[in-house]
Amino acid sequence: MLIEIHDLRKIYAEGEENEVRALDGVDLSIDYGEFVAIVGTSGSGKSTMMNILGCLDVPTYGEYLLDGIPVKERTERELAEIRSVKIGFIFQGYNLIPSLNVWQNVALPMLYQRVPLAERQQRAMDALAQVDIAQKAESRPTQLSGGQQQRVAIARAIATRSPIIMADEPTGALDSKTGAQVLGILRSLNAQGTAVILITHDNGIAAKAKRIVRLIDGKIVSDQPNVPDEARALNENM
Amino acid sequence: MRGRQLEELKMALESITDKKARSFLTMLGILIGVGAVLILVTVVTGMNADMEAYYEKLGVNKVYVTVTQYDRTNTLDITDDLMGYVASDMSNIAVGVTPDIEQSGTLRYGGNTNDSAVIYFGNEQWADCNNYTLEDGRDLSELDMDNRSMVCVIGAYVAESLFGYIDPIGETITYNGYPLTVVGVYYAKDGTAEESMDDAIVVPYTLNRSILSTAIITDFTIKVETSDDMEEAMSRIESWLSENLDSNTSEYTVENGNDEMNASEDETTSLSLILGGVACISLLVGGIGIMNIMLVTVTERAREIGIKKAIGAQRRVIVTQFLVEAAVLSGLGGLIGIAIGYGGSLLIGKAMYDLILVPDTMYVVASAIFSIVIGIAFGLYPAVKASGLQPVDALRAD
Ligand SMILES: Nc1ncnc2c1ncn2[C@@H]1O[C@H](COP(=O)(O)OP(=O)(O)OP(=O)(O)O)[C@@H](O)[C@H]1O
Ligand SMILES: [Mg+2]
Repeated sequence: MLIEIHDLRKIYAEGEENEVRALDGVDLSIDYGEFVAIVGTSGSGKSTMMNILGCLDVPTYGEYLLDGIPVKERTERELAEIRSVKIGFIFQGYNLIPSLNVWQNVALPMLYQRVPLAERQQRAMDALAQVDIAQKAESRPTQLSGGQQQRVAIARAIATRSPIIMADEPTGALDSKTGAQVLGILRSLNAQGTAVILITHDNGIAAKAKRIVRLIDGKIVSDQPNVPDEARALNENM
Repeated sequence: MRGRQLEELKMALESITDKKARSFLTMLGILIGVGAVLILVTVVTGMNADMEAYYEKLGVNKVYVTVTQYDRTNTLDITDDLMGYVASDMSNIAVGVTPDIEQSGTLRYGGNTNDSAVIYFGNEQWADCNNYTLEDGRDLSELDMDNRSMVCVIGAYVAESLFGYIDPIGETITYNGYPLTVVGVYYAKDGTAEESMDDAIVVPYTLNRSILSTAIITDFTIKVETSDDMEEAMSRIESWLSENLDSNTSEYTVENGNDEMNASEDETTSLSLILGGVACISLLVGGIGIMNIMLVTVTERAREIGIKKAIGAQRRVIVTQFLVEAAVLSGLGGLIGIAIGYGGSLLIGKAMYDLILVPDTMYVVASAIFSIVIGIAFGLYPAVKASGLQPVDALRAD
């Protein structure tokens, strides 16, 4: 199994008046190469879950095994290595570095993977081209629109060629055409073997995934395989 | 690996140039500290050089003997015995011995007068003992002593003030009315200025009876070979004096001529220590300034740190980033400080000593290294603090 979590809880301000159970006993397994959508309304705990799955945050209780190894047994160095090599993040808030230009932002994770400069730049430009933003390579993030920044963030995640992509509302700031394009990229990455964990509040987007996990108030209420629209349409036409 | 370090340096430079005013203010402490250190060190060096030159001219390793006789009726002149003792028994450590009486008075030649010159009563070794070298004519001789010759050897300023362009050798000047034939001229050694060591003449000490109306010589200078022999020379002279002088009617003092020099050397040493301390404090304050700004920077850039950690930066990378930034800041401050130190040293050297003084290369290199070290030392805590931020907490910061 790629990811296994058991009875995972994330409780903020535990025992206090304003206690928040962002995750409240979650069990979930995700295998190599899966395409999972985690859906839920705002505040249901989706981002909290991704932060824990991405080793950015630690659960209050419960167990998380990545590649069969408990994450809490990992050293800080190993966790950084995992974030660098294994996981490509697309954050909900883009999280680009304002002092670097677009291609430098995209190339930064590869710096931590010790990819040589020329190759880094090449791969960054390729990734930017994939999301149709290569013409802004020399701009600063602050000079871009929200949707453009979103695409740069996506380019940064895919350029690393990590075996797992974690995307928190990657289409949130995009028009439907670009959104569809981004989903197309995620699906083709998945077709090449990348595991994709897609977080969204939008059922229409979740419908593009192969499996849908529903979160309500920090609990999983349903976990079902999904027949993608195209397959269903094909089926209905027969 | 080298490429990455270069990129880290470039990023540090960019974040420094992004906030020029703040970076400059941060550097100010180090800048002033380094500039002040270099200027102060140069000034002390100038003082030392000045002082050394003075003692060089004066002559080192001299023992001054002063005898006081109370019983004027039954006095015993020790001059011959003392000179004999030094010449025979102390020849292994002493260069020479001379009576050394200082007088003032008026020198005249033609229409020119000189009231400032010091008139010394000495023997043929007086010049050696007091670091004068003959330029022209001849020095005093033993014969002059025996014959009580009315002759003198004059310093460069006396020659200039009385004779101008005339050759003084063979001319006769007067000292308080006593005619003295000039037999020699000493080289200038103190700038040929009024009241300098060049404003002096020496006459045979045996003229004491006729000119000074005294029967006995009370002051002597003994020149010793090396400073290591000073203690021994002094103790031998002291024991000779105690044996040869009647303690009921006379007293003596034996002084180490190097004492004054050593005292002023000690003075400049403690001055440099105090200045060094002040400099260290100012550099410390500068370092604290850097730490303060770096801590603010860490808070400001928490989000950037969070992003970097989230996409795989090791702690080391974050630590290096902030350390490089701190080191570049303080190193740059140090460089500007060095420039100021150079400028200030030149200005002050010109104004105070009329010398071209520049900071010693050793101090320049040391302060460059030291300022970088300060940046690293005081940047360490903020850097470690930055690298320890939890990615998720750092990401949430705004
Ligand atoms: N640091 C925190 N301290 C306290 N409560 C928090 C913290 N982070 C998240 N929460 C709470 O945890 C709950 C889940 O938050 P989370 O960000 O996971 O929601 P989400 O599903 O991603 O929502 P959205 O779709 O709006 O992004 C929310 O109620 C939120 O207020
Ligand atoms: Mg969210």
